[in-house]
Amino acid sequence: MNADTIANPSVIRSGHRYWIDSYRNMLRFEIVNLRSFLAVVVVIQILMGAGMAYMYGFYFGDMPEIARTYIVTGIPALALVPVGFVLVPSSIMNHKFRDTYDFVWSLPVPRLASAAATFTVFTSLAIPGTIVSLWVAQLRYSIDLQVSWSIVPAIALTSLMATSVGFTIGHAIPDPRLTNLVTNLIIFLALMFSPIVAPIEQFPNWWASVHEVLPLYNMANVIRAGLSEGLVVSLARSWAILGAWSLASWVLAAWVVGRRR
Amino acid sequence: MTAVELAQTGSLPQKRKGAIHWWRSYTAMLRWEITNMRLLLPITILVQAISGAGIVLGFGLLIPAMEPATAKYLSTGAVVVTLILVGLVLGPQLVAQQRMSGSYDFMWSLPVPRTASSAAWLSLNTLIAVPGMVAALVAAALRYDIAFDISPGVVPAVLFTLITGTLLGYAIAHAIPNPEVTMVVSQVMIFVIFGFSPISFPAENLPGWIAGLHRYLPFEHMANTVRGSLVDGLATDIGHSYLVLSVWAVLATTITAAVLGRRG
Repeated sequence: MNADTIANPSVIRSGHRYWIDSYRNMLRFEIVNLRSFLAVVVVIQILMGAGMAYMYGFYFGDMPEIARTYIVTGIPALALVPVGFVLVPSSIMNHKFRDTYDFVWSLPVPRLASAAATFTVFTSLAIPGTIVSLWVAQLRYSIDLQVSWSIVPAIALTSLMATSVGFTIGHAIPDPRLTNLVTNLIIFLALMFSPIVAPIEQFPNWWASVHEVLPLYNMANVIRAGLSEGLVVSLARSWAILGAWSLASWVLAAWVVGRRR
Repeated sequence: MTAVELAQTGSLPQKRKGAIHWWRSYTAMLRWEITNMRLLLPITILVQAISGAGIVLGFGLLIPAMEPATAKYLSTGAVVVTLILVGLVLGPQLVAQQRMSGSYDFMWSLPVPRTASSAAWLSLNTLIAVPGMVAALVAAALRYDIAFDISPGVVPAVLFTLITGTLLGYAIAHAIPNPEVTMVVSQVMIFVIFGFSPISFPAENLPGWIAGLHRYLPFEHMANTVRGSLVDGLATDIGHSYLVLSVWAVLATTITAAVLGRRG
């Protein structure tokens, strides 16, 4: 703290050194805040990812190899859905329920640093559970995966995209009970009505074209491209759509978070 | 002066009993439960209907070129899942919410026979479950052209499934004092019922030991009795299933009676 800010506490601190300090503090704040939650996150992901891999097997019965490959390569995307679309909004929702929401925003840190800390924590939090789920699914269906380097950006960036959209849902919807409804709806959609573990070609046309612009199918598509060969078409398009969702959610989040009430 | 003496002298009302008192208590409690849920009731019924139809339609998207036998299994299974979810998942969650909001003890302090309020609870569950069941049936008939062959046996099968499920959920909710544990148990229940019980798919699809376990658990038998009343040729040995369900119903009633009957 320098003499300036002591003499005049209303001086707004700025500069990239200050930003990085704030980011680091908020990162610590988020992790400590979530500490008992961290193990739960991994358990939920494994249930949703690996558990669903088994479940689909019970429902589908005997499957040809191609169907099994679709399930295994769809599992990482399915494991990312609960973190980004459910846990991120519900962690924000919990602040609203407990009335700590305004407190967090009253902390003297740039809001961008605070948001960046949330993104960092949840994006990295999602990765171990995703890998474990993929591993379990692969054991269950004994599929030879053709892993390429592109799996690394695919998982990292889809995780970032899901976190960003979840962040915006959590902040933009004022009533936490409505947030709860929306997240449940997303899970229902992901588990049973999305071309994540099945090829999009077997969906009715109108429903397939809806999915082509929603994030779920495109998440599965870019991850599948990093795990298999010859199954994925229009990869560039999927990347573009995921990028558009990320950008749109950042713009909306910036507007919601930045405005004064 | 003891309570008995007070009652004899007329300053404390006589303990009421008898069929008429029971029936009045039952209708009052049913009205109470419905009024209590008035805001949630339409949404809950709607969610039930959507999940019933959703199971039928969703798996149709994921499974390419479904065979008629699989479609029959799935559709009749969806009916059963909606019936079980109400009793075993929604019921305990509602009781847990009563405990959290502090109205649980108040409910039991009301001057009605505890069997009457349990019966009211059962009726409410039936009211919530039946629309979901109908939605699943309609969705299945439209989507897969399944010719349902509904026999009169549907009434006892559905009632048995509902009553056993509700009583089990009731036993869980009342026996576990901590509502947060109840919430977790009900979440795990969804997972077990939906993913690891041979309700919407044949038991042969499960690993041997899980399939073996389900011979003694109620879920497969609930599915078997209901399926037997809806379509021909898929259900076997229904008598045995009714027997297993009866054992579970008696067990759940005993636990609930022991928990509710004791004085805290």
